[in-house]
Amino acid sequence: MSGLAVDDAAWASAWRRRSPADKLLLCLGLVGCALVLPAWPGSLLVGLTAVTLALGPARVPARTFGRAVRWPLAFVAVGALTAVVRVDGDGVGWAPDAAAQAGSLVGHALAGGAAVLLLATTTPVSDLLPALRALRVPAAVVEVAAVTYRLLFVLLASLSTIREAQTARMGHSTWRRSYRSSGALAAAVLTRSWDRARRLQEGLAGRGMETGLRVLPEALPSSRAFLAASVAGLAALVSLSLVVAGTALA
Amino acid sequence: MHIAEGFLPPAHAIGWTLAAAPFVAHGARAVVREVREHPESTLLLGAAGAFTFVLSAVKLPSVTGSSSHPTGTGAGAVLFRPPVMALLGTVVLLFQALLLAHGGLTTLGANAFSMAVVGPWVGYGAYRLTRRLGGGLLPGVFAAMALADLATYVTTALQLAWAHPDAATGFPGAAAKFLGVFALTQVPLAVGEGLLGVLLFRALLANARPDLERLGVVAPQPEEAR
Repeated sequence: MSGLAVDDAAWASAWRRRSPADKLLLCLGLVGCALVLPAWPGSLLVGLTAVTLALGPARVPARTFGRAVRWPLAFVAVGALTAVVRVDGDGVGWAPDAAAQAGSLVGHALAGGAAVLLLATTTPVSDLLPALRALRVPAAVVEVAAVTYRLLFVLLASLSTIREAQTARMGHSTWRRSYRSSGALAAAVLTRSWDRARRLQEGLAGRGMETGLRVLPEALPSSRAFLAASVAGLAALVSLSLVVAGTALA
Repeated sequence: MHIAEGFLPPAHAIGWTLAAAPFVAHGARAVVREVREHPESTLLLGAAGAFTFVLSAVKLPSVTGSSSHPTGTGAGAVLFRPPVMALLGTVVLLFQALLLAHGGLTTLGANAFSMAVVGPWVGYGAYRLTRRLGGGLLPGVFAAMALADLATYVTTALQLAWAHPDAATGFPGAAAKFLGVFALTQVPLAVGEGLLGVLLFRALLANARPDLERLGVVAPQPEEAR
């Protein structure tokens, strides 16, 4: 249990052993479809595909998937409502095509969100970082990102332990105390992060670290069948959306 | 507050990615140089990135009843300077998109522009200005944290307004709508974040002064004053 449900799901997913490149192709393809295809029926198809794949073959717990969309859902709801309310001299009212516009916004956002979540719940971040090297991101930057990923769970654990201790000592009983405790909490986590980084550095230097943190890459072979199915599925999704959208217009 | 995946039309998503790219590349260059000169900074920078991520998990009690989460980029800009924050902020946004489903991949550019570029630069500018006008470290930190947060929120609202202009009044109307809606949570949060920054730095001055000296945030104390 690492403290981040999406990360736990990614490590436990049935697709964990699939090649990150395969999953990136499928998920980024879905993200792209969600972005450019018309909301009806493109967003619906992308959303259904992403959810079905995640809950079906990838065996992501439905609870994790559902809980993860709560945050973006709040933003999408508030944002879409704000976008379709009309404000002018006469006051506030609905924009002429409010329902269609809101539906399109929510559709695109939910479909895109589901596609990103499919990637997030099947692929741990540490598998994705090597892909950044392929995008010509400098090695030093990828290494900093890798250290960030590995340290953040340690810090999250510190954070919840300290907060628990503060709460037990009435540190969050009033508004004022809560602020004071939050300041102390942030300072403690920051100094702990420095301390940990320093100790890691000393340990690595003692083992002769000279050029970066090399680790043995895990062999996650690409699957031709998976790639072929992804490409075929995406192509079918695009053509079906365009045909249905075309007939809807005609 | 991050723009959710799919909430920006393709042209805006690409445009903001291109707008943020030079700042992030500049930050990447600064990080590469830093790591080449001091190989041990890899771990310290990683720790800074992890801290920025974790800070967004600190809950602050908010006037509006609910609790809010600080962005933490103001403190980062004071401690590590804006170019480094442009990179670390973008890494943190990528992780938030992938680990918390907060933000998104196609909106990463727009979110990086508001949270990792505009926020840190405005916060750092406010910090330097306060210090130059004779303000101490703590007023400077308050200004940095509060204004970095406000600038991030204003930028996000304007990005949304530009992407989704009002049916009757266009961009100005939409800007007023988005600024108004998010002001309910973001303005109290900016003040709260400023206060948190003051408490954070006060604790750091008491417990981690050597680290602040190493980062050049406070001048080293003369031997006899210790």
